[in-house]
Amino acid sequence: KEHEEALARRTIIEKKKEAAESALLKKEKEEAQQRMIRAEEARAAEAARVAEQQKKRELERLRQEQEKIRKEELKKQLDELSLDTKIDVENLEDLDSNQLRAMKLAQLEKEKREMADKLRITGKRIDHLERAYRREEVKILPQDLER
Amino acid sequence: MRPILLQGHERSLTQIKYNKDGDLLFSTAKDHVICAWYSVNGERLGTYHGHQGALWTVDIDPTSTLLATGAADNTIKIWDVKTGKSLKTWDFPTAVKRVEFSEDGTLLLAVTEARMGFLGTLVVFPIIVDVEAQQADAPLFTITFRESKATVAAWSYLNKYIITGHEDGSVSQYDGKSGELIQDIQAHEIGTAGQITDIQMAPDRTYFVTASKDKTAKIIDVDNLKVLKTFVTDTPLNTAALTPKKDFVILGGGQEARDVTTTSQRQGKFEARFYHKIFEDEIGRVRGHFGPLNTIAVHPQGTGYASGGEDGYVRVHHFDKPYFDFTYEVERMKA
Amino acid sequence: MAPHSSFDDDEDIDFSDLREQFEVRLDEGLDAFVVVDGCPVVPEENRGKLIKFLSKKLSEVGKIKADSVTMPLNAETNKTEGYAFVEYETPEQALAACKQLSGIPLDRKHTIAINKLTDIEHFGREGRIKEEYVEPEIEPYVEREHFRSWLSEPNARDQFVMYRGESVGVFWNRKKDQPEPVVDRQHWTESFVQWSPQGTYLTSVHAQGVQLWGGPSWKRVMRFAHPAANLVDFSPNENYIVTWSNRPISIPENPPPGFPLSADEDGKNFIVWDIKTGNLLRSFTSLEAANDADEGVKALGRKKINWPVFKWSSDDKYVARVLPGQAIQIYETPSMMLLGKKAVKVEGVVDFEWSPSIPEGKGKSKPEQMLTYWTPEMNNQTARVTLMNIPSQTIVRTRNLVNVSDCKLHWQSEGKYLCVKVDRHTKTKKSTFTSLEFFRVKEKNIPVEIVELKQTVINFAWEPKGDRFVFITTDEAVQGATVAPKTNIAFYAPEKIKNGVGEFCLVKTVEKKNSNAIYWSPKGRFVLIATVHSQQSFDLEFWDCEFEGEKQKPETKNKEVAANLMLMGASEHYGVTDVEWDPTGRYVATSVSMWRHTMENGYHLWDFKGTLLREEHIDRFKQLLWRPRPPTMLSKEEQKTIRKNLREYSRQFDEEDTFEAETANREVVEARKRQLDEWRAWRERVEKDLKAQ
Repeated sequence: KEHEEALARRTIIEKKKEAAESALLKKEKEEAQQRMIRAEEARAAEAARVAEQQKKRELERLRQEQEKIRKEELKKQLDELSLDTKIDVENLEDLDSNQLRAMKLAQLEKEKREMADKLRITGKRIDHLERAYRREEVKILPQDLER
Repeated sequence: MRPILLQGHERSLTQIKYNKDGDLLFSTAKDHVICAWYSVNGERLGTYHGHQGALWTVDIDPTSTLLATGAADNTIKIWDVKTGKSLKTWDFPTAVKRVEFSEDGTLLLAVTEARMGFLGTLVVFPIIVDVEAQQADAPLFTITFRESKATVAAWSYLNKYIITGHEDGSVSQYDGKSGELIQDIQAHEIGTAGQITDIQMAPDRTYFVTASKDKTAKIIDVDNLKVLKTFVTDTPLNTAALTPKKDFVILGGGQEARDVTTTSQRQGKFEARFYHKIFEDEIGRVRGHFGPLNTIAVHPQGTGYASGGEDGYVRVHHFDKPYFDFTYEVERMKA
Repeated sequence: MAPHSSFDDDEDIDFSDLREQFEVRLDEGLDAFVVVDGCPVVPEENRGKLIKFLSKKLSEVGKIKADSVTMPLNAETNKTEGYAFVEYETPEQALAACKQLSGIPLDRKHTIAINKLTDIEHFGREGRIKEEYVEPEIEPYVEREHFRSWLSEPNARDQFVMYRGESVGVFWNRKKDQPEPVVDRQHWTESFVQWSPQGTYLTSVHAQGVQLWGGPSWKRVMRFAHPAANLVDFSPNENYIVTWSNRPISIPENPPPGFPLSADEDGKNFIVWDIKTGNLLRSFTSLEAANDADEGVKALGRKKINWPVFKWSSDDKYVARVLPGQAIQIYETPSMMLLGKKAVKVEGVVDFEWSPSIPEGKGKSKPEQMLTYWTPEMNNQTARVTLMNIPSQTIVRTRNLVNVSDCKLHWQSEGKYLCVKVDRHTKTKKSTFTSLEFFRVKEKNIPVEIVELKQTVINFAWEPKGDRFVFITTDEAVQGATVAPKTNIAFYAPEKIKNGVGEFCLVKTVEKKNSNAIYWSPKGRFVLIATVHSQQSFDLEFWDCEFEGEKQKPETKNKEVAANLMLMGASEHYGVTDVEWDPTGRYVATSVSMWRHTMENGYHLWDFKGTLLREEHIDRFKQLLWRPRPPTMLSKEEQKTIRKNLREYSRQFDEEDTFEAETANREVVEARKRQLDEWRAWRERVEKDLKAQ
């Protein structure tokens, strides 16, 4: 009986032990699972961060590319103006197309003025030269008539 | 100076007149209809129907009561301005080319065409300025042009003279009471090349401006027929007007349709030209018509003008500030 | 100075006096008398001898009546007066004497002049000659001195002649202002007017012939009785004139005394005249058997024949015409005999041109005139361009050409280059194209440079006194197309090299234009490219070949060219038919002549850069021609000195111009003041009078 009791107790103890063990096992299993999930989450977050960063970099590159194109475009336009006015090429950000067009117009206007001025001087010179020739010619005209 | 375009006529304009107040504008064209307009906005006030032929001429008495018109149907008609009713009709053997009320409205002169054996004449009727009145049937007197027919005519101040402009470029002065010829001058080129196309009096009727096919316009003293000013253009002129307030004249003309061989608008020089009345310089042009300018009238207060063209349009212009500001240095000095 | 428009006795300027000559004046009985002038002055005792000698001479053309030579003595000196009256048996003989013996030398010192007594009477009657007998020469020496008086105008202005309606007027150009009339006459000409090449004479053309006018009084200088003359051409130095009529001259069987032409002229179309004496040198018939014999050749503007037919060498020594397919006939002046007594045989010859200047004598050889001609392909021989020296007739250069449909010969104004425009066809003859062959005449062995083109050249022009040229090309017109094909303008200049003139390089082409005409300034540098005689476009483009601004890049290659091209201005002149530069290259007139159409007749005046200075519409406007100027009398050195001191002159001119502008301004203001005062005074009076009435 005592044995029986002992046996029964032992069985109980065994059972309890078993229960305890399985509980422990279960708990460990659960913990492991939790860890795994956390790790997974962390990895995903990291990936997202990296992706985000990459996207950002890409955008930045694109923006820079565009800026470069714009600058080149402006520069080209400026070159066409035969750069009379010195423009700070570094400060191109401050310029837009409209301003450039206005500059272009001003430039054309200026060229026209300059041409008109040059031609005015040319005209005056050919007129004066003709008059000077004639003034001298008149002096020798009587001699010519004697011939 | 954005013009108001009056679209009411279907054919070329022949004459435009402002009334004395300048609020109304009357126009005649070859389409048998007389139109009346509000000059301020170009709204049409009404039309006068009754003539059976192209209208050549219109005038309004100083009180804006009666309207006189002359037409190719060989009649002069007197109209009630307000109702549009025809009050009187005088018949002639030929077309009536020009009518004009005297300064006081008591006399009406009319120039008739020479055609089919009939000589050109100028007739003067007494007028009672009253829509109820019965107008006389017979003229006071008739002047018959044996040499060159008159094309236009006008009254001087105080009805003292009648001035006629002729087909051969001459200008004559007749006694306004008796119709006797006092004197004449060859004001423009002799022959049809110098035909006088318009005569308009200055506001006080002491001098007038002529327009001629010889491409010039002249200002002439009504008393002694002395040519005071000459304006030289590069196109035959159909009309000339004097501007009150400013010392300008406005001239209109253009190569006639049959002489213009291309459709180009610049060809015909269809512009109203402004000249300085005293200095005889051209000072500006106003474009817009698609055909020769046939008639120009200036607002009696000098605030604007209207032009009627071969193209069938009337263009009413109100002068803006730069017009009134324009002066020559000498004018400012002597102001 | 020059008189203003005069409607004096010269207004009716026809040939009425000639007509009078035709009238037989038998009653006067003086038609057989001549006056012999220019005889030696001898004492009384030698008079008989002289009369005998003279009689012998004068008998060569007709019978002199016995004792009919009268040689008056001067009462004071008891010597002869140097002239004689002579009576022939018939008026015809007297006339023959005038024609044939006038101007012949009597001895080494004396040349006689013979005129009909009736002529002298005639002149005397008109009051031209005061005394009964004075120097009968119509053209006294003194008068000749004034022929260039217009050159002494102090403000360096230029004249032009304008023919409109029935009036011909000569005017001073005053830029923006109304031209100042010099002379203006009704019916001065019947068909057109023309200046002589150096501007000395103004030519008028009438049914009875051609007249020259000049001098400050614009008197008639000479007339050439060529009935129904259509066209006129002068020798470059104004010594000779050629007149042409499509109608062969017909001489009546018994010409009345004084009839200006002799039987030799019967059936002739061309007459070559000596301008100074008025003598007829020789007449010719047209070679093209009167093909042009209709009325269409009335005016220059409508000429149908390739004028001039007789072409002059630059020194007036030779005049030549082509006998198509056979020869070139070269005549020597003033004898008008064939050079070397025969024509220069050139089988197939189509056309020829004289070099416009005598090449400078290089080395020992005496400088000669040069002409060039071309012959087409024939008898298994290629087409060929030949340069020949005259009078030696040495061939200095030939060049063979293949597939040639036509050639045009363009000399540069100094004879430095010859451009032969060769219109070629492809082997299949389906399409044509042009090549330009440049002969560098002044260089050793006359090298030839070629510009090959894919299109045809419709117009080519050398820069006067320059090394540049412009031409206009076009594709062939599409059959049945209503609009002319687009044109391209090409500007060429030589490459800049250290010595000499480099290869001709394309400076610029302007594509898709309508332009068809090239007008170089007579001084070079500026060129006006225009579209004339067109219904649709009327473009005028003013180009500068030496723009003084930033250097423009030439179109081809990386070469430096002797040009800096710039479009100075572009404009239009509706209906433009004619373009004329003034002789100084400062102004250019574009005009619309009623000979072409009647729309907007008149002229526009521009400065060299295309600024419109003035426009005038003139009904029935026909011609505007600038008066040419003779070559400058200043030596190269003198010109150089002037250029060097231009700044000094410029200062004076600026001062003068400013002063003049101020004066003009002041005058305008004064005039306006006066006008204003007068008007206001008149108004005041009139208004007062009006109130009183």
